[in-house]
Amino acid sequence: MTTVGYVLRRLAASALLLLLLTLLTFTLYRAIPANPAGFLVDLSPGHAPSPEQIARAEKALGVDKPLWEQYGLYLWRAVHGDLGLAYEGTTFVPLTNERTGQAVAPAVLHAAMVTGSLVIGGALFALLLSIPLGAIAASRPRSLTDRTILVVTLIGICTHPLVVALLLQQFPGRQWGIAPASGYCRFFGAAQTTIDPATFRPALGCAGPGAWASHLVLPWITFALFFLAVYTRLVRVRMIEVMDEPFIRTAAAKGASRSRIVRHHALRNAMSPVLALVGMDIGLALGIALYIESVYRLPGLGLTTLAALNGTVGFDLPMILGVVLAIGLVIIVLNFAIDLVILWMDPRAAQAGTRRTAVGRVV
Amino acid sequence: MSATAATGTIDETASPARSPSRLAWRRLRRDRAALVSTGFLAFLLLAVLPGAPLLGKIVGHGPNDFFPSAVDVSLKPTGPWSYVADSAMVPPPPGTGKTLLVLGADGPLGRDELQRLLYGGRVSLTVAVGATLLALLIGTTLGTLAAFFGGWIDSVISRFTELVMAFPVLLLAIMLGSTVAGKLNGVTLGGALNQGVVSLILLIGLFTWFYPARIVRSLIVSLRAREFVEAAEMVGSSNARIMRTHLFPHVIPALAVWATLAVATNIMLEAGITFLGVGIKLPTASWGSMLAATWGTVLAPLPYNPSSFSPWLTILPSAMIFLTVLALTLLGEGLREAFDPRGGR
Repeated sequence: MTTVGYVLRRLAASALLLLLLTLLTFTLYRAIPANPAGFLVDLSPGHAPSPEQIARAEKALGVDKPLWEQYGLYLWRAVHGDLGLAYEGTTFVPLTNERTGQAVAPAVLHAAMVTGSLVIGGALFALLLSIPLGAIAASRPRSLTDRTILVVTLIGICTHPLVVALLLQQFPGRQWGIAPASGYCRFFGAAQTTIDPATFRPALGCAGPGAWASHLVLPWITFALFFLAVYTRLVRVRMIEVMDEPFIRTAAAKGASRSRIVRHHALRNAMSPVLALVGMDIGLALGIALYIESVYRLPGLGLTTLAALNGTVGFDLPMILGVVLAIGLVIIVLNFAIDLVILWMDPRAAQAGTRRTAVGRVV
Repeated sequence: MSATAATGTIDETASPARSPSRLAWRRLRRDRAALVSTGFLAFLLLAVLPGAPLLGKIVGHGPNDFFPSAVDVSLKPTGPWSYVADSAMVPPPPGTGKTLLVLGADGPLGRDELQRLLYGGRVSLTVAVGATLLALLIGTTLGTLAAFFGGWIDSVISRFTELVMAFPVLLLAIMLGSTVAGKLNGVTLGGALNQGVVSLILLIGLFTWFYPARIVRSLIVSLRAREFVEAAEMVGSSNARIMRTHLFPHVIPALAVWATLAVATNIMLEAGITFLGVGIKLPTASWGSMLAATWGTVLAPLPYNPSSFSPWLTILPSAMIFLTVLALTLLGEGLREAFDPRGGR
């Protein structure tokens, strides 16, 4: 009963979060005086379109209706999977009052794949390194190894991810030529010429798993270095705590070897707060991804947002709403999945109820 | 004199009573990392507040003055300690004196790198400290209200906090910053602050007050049921008096630790938001905009040109951000241990 109630409450809160986010974005951007009609007809001084032309553009964009009606219509279409057409680069269909342009949903999906490649790869890197490092540091607290790991991770925490990104791009990327310094390649499909979403310059395309991975090496390292520091410290603290618990002494008394104790008894119990922090850090990770995407010019969700905010005429609201919805959904789904994994790994968490005890961080 | 003599035997065995803050101070003084950090932060404040205009007086130019002769034909800025023609004209009129650029020039425009570092530090620190104070003000008030009154006030504040904390703060700040902050960029409090500082303080402060609110709420919820609060209620103290004189002193240590670490994260946030083109606007220097010096802007990244590229233009602001954040982090950890030596971590 409690599990069902818990799931229902979580779902309701998630729906509310999405509703609030879209409503906030919608009203915020509609309240800005810039008229989106400028995307269809030239409103700049000296061109002076007739009121009929402006009205036609507003009708095609759907901004002639009252605000609440626009919002309702948007929600109705969104639950049917239609996020509309972007404002940027939109044109009239000849001889009609309809408009055509880039569809938001596939564009956001593609951007989400780019950000996903970056974040998932980087997170795997960070976790696969930080769990052994934290366990090693915890196995001999206050030893030279432990102190070295602590100092190095402290430096990692205090370095701005932008600094890491810029330095990695400059030295291994540009001057030493070890890995590509910027750009993104699709994992699937053939090479094609693409337009950089921010600069509108055509770029010679590339594709394939090898090119994909090589272009992501530096972004992955940048991402991992930031989170490596925090997670190594967390694993270390948790391991030191867990190694003091009675069940570890019991395992040792039964004659289990030290490595068996660490791997089978301690690590499993030390993992649940680590996973809880992964859940809390999804938002943070997307923020860090914004820095990394800008420096390495990866056309992910962050760069898409920045391009939509800095459009030629004004804000590209459908694109911004699409990104906000995508991020909200990802956060909700991943948090839910992580809750289930924690319940599976550590059934005591179900009784504890409040697992979110770690103090949050902002960057 | 006679009184101490009478109780002299007792004084030798019993240690004198010390207040918790005095004990914390004693522990902090023994923490070498925290002391070095405090020294560095004091030096930084001196360099940034009276130091920046003083340097301007000595070398005779400001942080936004152009020196085209500090840049060579391939637009590469000069290195540290170079004397250049003191003129914004190309070529400088005959008879122009020389002026000193202590750390060289800052890029194709040929501005004084050291002065921009100092004035930029002033802007970055103002934003970071201001945003922390704003977050403390909002967070402490709402956290106290939520904990003290409980009920629906508590659940509204707590749920709202959880909702917003799940979403990327940086993205929200940038989205809000590029829409609303444009109106606030002109607010400079009579020229006391640079353009964009007030809007960045509001932006960061409004997205980070959840943390102090949660800290204050959880502390006060546990203090609320203690006997001394009951006793104060029994003798007829008002709610405001209980909060002010009985509860508030207990949350100061935790808030001091949070505030120190928050200034560090806010310096990073300011640099990030400005780097992405939403925060402080040029020509005003800030550590964030200086990071972008060799990189360009999000919409117009500079093409890489090995002949004019000057890595120190990235490394200098990077080092300033790193050292300041490191000092604040060490001081925060020191404060945490000084206030609560047994409290984990």
